[in-house]
Amino acid sequence: MSLSSRMIIVLTSVGVLSGALLSTVGLLTRARIEANRLKEIEEAIVSVVPGTETNQKLYEEKDFTVYATRDAEGQVTGYAIYTAGTGFQDKIVIMFGTDAAIQKIFRLTILDQKETPGLGAKITDEEAFLKYWENKDCSQPLALRKPPVALEELSSSEVNVITGATISSEAVLNTVNDSLAKLRSLIQDGTIQIEGNNGQ
Amino acid sequence: MASKTLSQEFIKGLWDENPIFRQLLGMCPTLAVTNAVINGIAMGLATTFVLVFSSIVVASIKKLIPNQVRIASYIVVIATFVTMADRFLAAFFPPISKSLGPYVPLIVVNCIILGRQEAFSSKNSVGRSFIDALGMSLGFIIALLILSSIREILGAGTWLGHQVLGPWFKPWIIMILPPGAFLTLGVLLGLIMVIDRKLQRSV
Amino acid sequence: MELLAIFISAILINNFVLHYFLGICPFLGVSKKLDSAISMGLAVTFVMTITAVVSWIINHWILLPYKLEYLQIVSFILVIASLVQLVEMFIRKTSPPLYQALGIFLPLITTNCAIMGLALLAALKNYNFMETVVFGVGSGLGFTLAIVLMAGIREQLDLADVPEPLKGAGIALIVAGIMALGFFGFSGMIK
Repeated sequence: MSLSSRMIIVLTSVGVLSGALLSTVGLLTRARIEANRLKEIEEAIVSVVPGTETNQKLYEEKDFTVYATRDAEGQVTGYAIYTAGTGFQDKIVIMFGTDAAIQKIFRLTILDQKETPGLGAKITDEEAFLKYWENKDCSQPLALRKPPVALEELSSSEVNVITGATISSEAVLNTVNDSLAKLRSLIQDGTIQIEGNNGQ
Repeated sequence: MASKTLSQEFIKGLWDENPIFRQLLGMCPTLAVTNAVINGIAMGLATTFVLVFSSIVVASIKKLIPNQVRIASYIVVIATFVTMADRFLAAFFPPISKSLGPYVPLIVVNCIILGRQEAFSSKNSVGRSFIDALGMSLGFIIALLILSSIREILGAGTWLGHQVLGPWFKPWIIMILPPGAFLTLGVLLGLIMVIDRKLQRSV
Repeated sequence: MELLAIFISAILINNFVLHYFLGICPFLGVSKKLDSAISMGLAVTFVMTITAVVSWIINHWILLPYKLEYLQIVSFILVIASLVQLVEMFIRKTSPPLYQALGIFLPLITTNCAIMGLALLAALKNYNFMETVVFGVGSGLGFTLAIVLMAGIREQLDLADVPEPLKGAGIALIVAGIMALGFFGFSGMIK
């Protein structure tokens, strides 16, 4: 057998074997990987809109997805918004929930971030940041309170800054405000519609 | 080389030919994933899986592969095992897969793995290659463990997520940031040199 | 605006060498002389740009439409390896002076994790075509900046009195650490 035909045979068989092996592994793991991804979104939706039983994707574009959430009776409980903005280092991926009239933010959670550990990364910290986002009035754009004050002293549309991480805090705030504006305009021009009651 | 006993073949990866401290191979994952011990361990195990299986496969098919296409064949073999490791982590350990990010697929260009195929498995028996791969992997894991322990303890006051330093300790955040990786490894390399010299003098 | 942000972020903030730790081998190996560092940097930038284009096409025209995402690693590494070979042959035929300058660095690039890292990161970040191209060029320039700065420092370092055990890789890593610290100052400049 000549050298070149041997080379071709060896490379082809290595390629075919590896391809066969990988497609098996690929098929075996695909469902599970997909399920993991969905589960993460699902859990985040449940955590940001209380009492959610089911959800329905209403609108999707790059780094901006809107879900309608419903309770056990199928009543619309609000919107869960998946969004992302540029922080201090890299993208901050956020999920937050509002009521159906978009007057109130129930909760906010951070799905992914690469901010500075110990400073900007505190945006994932319940005590330092997330608790200030609970049940906020979002009929107007939210504002950042700096320097931070006690929870009781904040007005209903203010959240505390993280000391030493103004940029990360602002990034979250601006992303949320922008997403709210976008959601409202999408509802206004009829791109997003929910069947049944609209909760108004 | 060939006269080495199997145990010597195993031991050499730990100190004399430690891939990170002595050969300075596989620096990218070493620096990138050692900000927490758990990431270091996951990376070490994933690399071990790839290195051991690639070595076994390469050593068993080495006679069939013409010299001209050996690197291409090795790369395909390595890439196959890396994909398996990557998919496995993504399916069963999603948080780890997420925190290691692109560094699991990047095992494919980890010089340790291709280097061992080229320098060892393509010339030695299956058994010997297996032992060699095991030793090298263990050396790699130990290095990752040392580096990530130093960084996590000083950088966060924790080890494997458990608080080890009291509340008096103010974490040196810099240690879990990129500069900390470079500084720790640089100082560690210096220390290894000092220890090595002491050892040689005493022999 | 988005493109400019990606570009600046790739050069300064999420620098390939100092933030992602990709391409450490050439960063330590080819940074002893300034002129070879410049050549290496340019060769990497060149290959990164082409890789960005080709890997995007493969990913979005072949792998994703046919749900073959599990072949990503195998196909990227094979494409990069053959691409580097092609580029080398092409430069040798068409431009001997360029080959003189970049030639010996091209084979080294195949196993450079920065190139593979670029293809994987662009896929992971889900960039569109233009973003991927800009990301490729920016990352290449970021690598060039880091390796050229490093070479400049190391040429001076030769004359310095470095403690014996730290000579070579040890001091180079510590210098890189201080550089990374400096680059950290660029964080947050993009809003």
